[in-house]
Amino acid sequence: MSDEPSDATAAAEISEEAGLDGRLEAIQDSELAVVGIAVVGVLLFPLVFNNLLNGYTQLATLVLVWGIFALGFDILLGYTGLLSFGHALFWGGAAYAAGIFSASVSGQPVLVILFGTLIAVLLAWIIGFLSLRRGGIYFAILTLTFGQMAFYLSSSPLAFLTNGENGFTSVSIAPLFGVLDLHGSLGGPLAMLPGNTLYLFVGAVTVLTIALANRILNSPYGIVFKAIRENESRAEFVGLDVWRYKLMAFIISALFAGISGSLFAIEGNYVPLSSLYWTTSGEVVIMTVLGGVGSLFGPLFGAAVYLYIEFIVSGMDVVGPFWHLILGLVFVVVVVLFPDGIWGGVTAIRDYIGGERR
Amino acid sequence: MSLLSQILTILLNGLQQGAIYVLLAVGLSIILGTLKFVNFAHGALYLLGAYLGLFITTEVQLTNGMLPEWGITTFGLGLGFLAALLIVPLVTFVVGIVMERFVAKPFYDRPDTDQILVTFGLAVIFQEALRALIGGDSQSLPQPAWASGPIALPIIGNFPRWRLGVIVITALLVLFVYALVEYTDFGLIVRAGTMDSEMVRLLGIRLDRPYLVVFGIGAALAGIAGVVGGPLANVNPNIGTEQLVPAFLTVVIGGVGKIEGAVLAGLLLGTLQVLLIQTGFAAWNRVGIYVLAAVILLVRPQGLLGSEVDVE
Repeated sequence: MSDEPSDATAAAEISEEAGLDGRLEAIQDSELAVVGIAVVGVLLFPLVFNNLLNGYTQLATLVLVWGIFALGFDILLGYTGLLSFGHALFWGGAAYAAGIFSASVSGQPVLVILFGTLIAVLLAWIIGFLSLRRGGIYFAILTLTFGQMAFYLSSSPLAFLTNGENGFTSVSIAPLFGVLDLHGSLGGPLAMLPGNTLYLFVGAVTVLTIALANRILNSPYGIVFKAIRENESRAEFVGLDVWRYKLMAFIISALFAGISGSLFAIEGNYVPLSSLYWTTSGEVVIMTVLGGVGSLFGPLFGAAVYLYIEFIVSGMDVVGPFWHLILGLVFVVVVVLFPDGIWGGVTAIRDYIGGERR
Repeated sequence: MSLLSQILTILLNGLQQGAIYVLLAVGLSIILGTLKFVNFAHGALYLLGAYLGLFITTEVQLTNGMLPEWGITTFGLGLGFLAALLIVPLVTFVVGIVMERFVAKPFYDRPDTDQILVTFGLAVIFQEALRALIGGDSQSLPQPAWASGPIALPIIGNFPRWRLGVIVITALLVLFVYALVEYTDFGLIVRAGTMDSEMVRLLGIRLDRPYLVVFGIGAALAGIAGVVGGPLANVNPNIGTEQLVPAFLTVVIGGVGKIEGAVLAGLLLGTLQVLLIQTGFAAWNRVGIYVLAAVILLVRPQGLLGSEVDVE
C-alpha cells in the first residue's frame, strides 16, 4: 500500500529517460553489471593493491571486511540521512557473538556468520526502536549512549563472556563445509587466483553483500529511503510510514555490520574490546563519508583509503607518525568541500569528461 | 562511620565527580541551545585546557613524539597552578571565538549531521596533532600546593582539599554564567535569540557578537574543566573524547540550553557513579550512567528540565 507512490515515481523516471541514454543507464544500473564489476573488482584489487601500492593480502581482506560495514552504514547515512554514532555495537556485538558461537557451538564459518548477523539484527531492532523516537542530534547521541553502554558492559560486568579488557581470544574456526581451511592455502588450479583462501572467501561474501545492497537500494523500498532523506515531511504526507522505513534502514545497516563483524572475528581469530568502543563507530563514519555517501562503491573505496592510510602510510618515513592527523585533515576537507566524498568527486569528473548528461 | 557521614561522603564525592561533567555540559548546552550548533569538538577544548594547564603549571620532560626529536626535551612555563587557572580560560575563550567565526558560522545553515561530522573531524585532528607532537604518554598535572592534602570537615571527616576546590570553582563559575544569562542585557539578547533569532534581528539587534561571546564562554568553561579536572586523573591525548560522551549525556538529560538542567543532570550522573563504586558495584559504574541516561531520554525525551518547545 505504502509502496505505491514510489513505484509511480520510479516508473516516471524510467519513461523520462527513455531513448539511448536511458537504456545505457538501465544497463549500468542492472544487477548483473553491478555484480560483474564487483567480481572483477574483488579479483583485481589484490593484484593492484599488492603490486603497485605496497599493500599485502591480509590488508586487502581487512579492506573488504570494513567495506561491507561501510556499505551498510551508507544505507543509513547516505540513503536515509540518519547519522548513527553507535554502530560499533552491531559490528563489535556481531564479532563477539560470532567468536563465542565458534568457541562453544560450532566453528562452521557460514553458521558463525549467520549467528553473528542474527545477533546484530536483533540488537538493532531493539536499539533502533528506542533511538528512532528522536531525530537529528538526539538520534546520534542515543545511539552513542547505547554503544557505550555495550562497551562498558563487555569490559567488566560481562567479562565472563567476553574476556574483558583482553578481548575474546578463543575464536576457533572450522574448515569451510568441513573441507576448506580458510587460513590455509588453496591447492590445484584455484591457486592461480589472486589473494589467498581467506581473501577469496571474504571476497565472495563481499560480492553477495554488494548485490544485496544494490537490490535493496533499487527496489521501491529503497527509493523510499531516498525520499525520506530528501524531505521527510513530504514522504510523510504522501502517506508513507516514515518511522517504519527508518527502523528498517537501521536494521538493514546493522545486518551488514553484523556480516562484517562476524567476518572480522573469523579473519583475525580474535575480537578486541575496542571493537565496541565509540571510536569504531567514528571510523566507519569517516570511511563512509570519505568514500562518498549515497553511492554503492563509495564506502568500499573509503574503507580502502582509510585502512591504506592507517597501515601503509603510517609505516612511511616522514609522514608515518602523522597518519591519523592526515586522515583527520582529509576527512574535514571532504566534509567541507566535497559532500559527495572522493567517489562522488571521481564520478563528477567522469561525467564531465563524458559530456554531462543532464 | 555513621550512616549519615557515609551518605554525605557519597554526595560530596558525587558532587565532585559531577562537577567536571557540569562544567563541560553548561558550555555545550548554551552553545547547542543558543546557536543550535552541535559541537563534537567540545572534548578537544577540554583536552586543550588540560594540556595548557599542564604546560603553564610545570615544565614537562618529553620523551616521545616529534618535539623531543626536534631537540625540545623540556617544555613548559612552570608558572604554577594559579597562573594556569587564570590564563587557560582566556586562551580557550579566544579559541572558542575563532571556532565560532571559522567553523561554526559557515555551518549554521547546514544539517546537524554536517556539523557533527566537521567538529568530529576537527577533534580528531587536534587530538592526533597533539599525540604526534608530544607522544601519547600519560602526564600528571600536579595539584596546587595550597590545595593538596586533606581538609577536616564536620561529620564527614577528612576530605581531599583539591576535590573540595573543584566543587567550589565549579559552583562559582556556573553561578557567574547563570547570572550573566539571566540578569544582564547581554543575557536577555541571548535568551531572546534562542527563542526567535529572526525577530531579534528584525528589532535591529545584531546577534553576531553575542553568539561569539556565547561560544567563547562555552569554550572557556571546557578549558577550565580541563585544568581543574587534570589533577584528578592522568592527562593524555585520549581524555577529550573520553569526556565528550558523558558531557553530551549531561546536556540532553538536563535539557538542551538549560543551565539548571545541566547542573542537575551532572550531579545526578556523578552521584550515581560514586554510589555504585562505593556500594561494591564498581564494575557497573560506567554502565549505570548510560542506563540512567537511556531511561530518562526514553521517558522524558526533552530532558529533565527541558521544555517541549525546544524539541524540534
